[in-house]
Amino acid sequence: MKIRMKYKMTFEEADRLIERYYEGLTSGEEERELQQFLSQPGLPERYEPEQALFGYFNHKKEKRHISLIPYKRWASVAAVVVLVLVGSQVFFIQPQRNYAYVDGKKITNVHEIKSQALASLSDLSSSTDEVEEGFKNINDNELVEQQLNVFSGLEK
Amino acid sequence: MPALHAQNDLQISKVFEQYGEKRGVVMVELTNEMLDGYDFSLFKSLTIKDNPSAADFVRKCMLKDEVGAKKVKQVVTNGTPTSIYLQLPRKGQLYRLILFNETFHPEHKITLIYIESKNDSEDVLKLILKKK
Repeated sequence: MKIRMKYKMTFEEADRLIERYYEGLTSGEEERELQQFLSQPGLPERYEPEQALFGYFNHKKEKRHISLIPYKRWASVAAVVVLVLVGSQVFFIQPQRNYAYVDGKKITNVHEIKSQALASLSDLSSSTDEVEEGFKNINDNELVEQQLNVFSGLEK
Repeated sequence: MPALHAQNDLQISKVFEQYGEKRGVVMVELTNEMLDGYDFSLFKSLTIKDNPSAADFVRKCMLKDEVGAKKVKQVVTNGTPTSIYLQLPRKGQLYRLILFNETFHPEHKITLIYIESKNDSEDVLKLILKKK
């Protein structure tokens, strides 16, 4: 069967060329003919793998035009985002201020500052001990007895 | 508002200003530092020795600061509060605490601590009291 084709190649001729192509026997001229054959619309489905194969090579040969404008836009947006983030860090996060004054003398050694801070915290903890000790005293039977004795002494 | 000035609206900031750099006083300020397991955004403390008038001044300041705050603890000795723990209302994402203590033995000493933390102030208090 013959179909009207621009390059006047029959399916039989095309099949033979494809076969030779896969065997690596085709010349440059034959490959160009095959490519032109496969680029036609309305070919039977069985030529789809070869069309895809040649289509891929066609795309690869195309000179790709890449516009830099979108990249520049993204770069400027990214720069603005970074600036905003850095700015918010400066304004909204506390700066590192670590110091202590002992008898009016400034200390900047972090270890020494921390030990002074822990000392002040331990002052609070010891006060809690005093409170607990107070509660123990309240529950102390001896103390209660002494206090009751004061009242019993009044009755005599 | 920046977290930087969260303690500036409090009266106790005057105590730090007035006594911080005097003799017989230890003042500490730590920001964003890990302190022995405590995760504080800001830690300020003041230890003043042999200065009863300073203790009175702290008490007066705390009377104003306790408005709107939760008094977690108060110990009164001979009619005078010698230990006060205040849980202040949150400011932004910061929990705030004021802790005051006065001892008389072996020497007269007052300790004033102001804490800002992103952790719940009850958890911070538990941690402080646990670490005896």
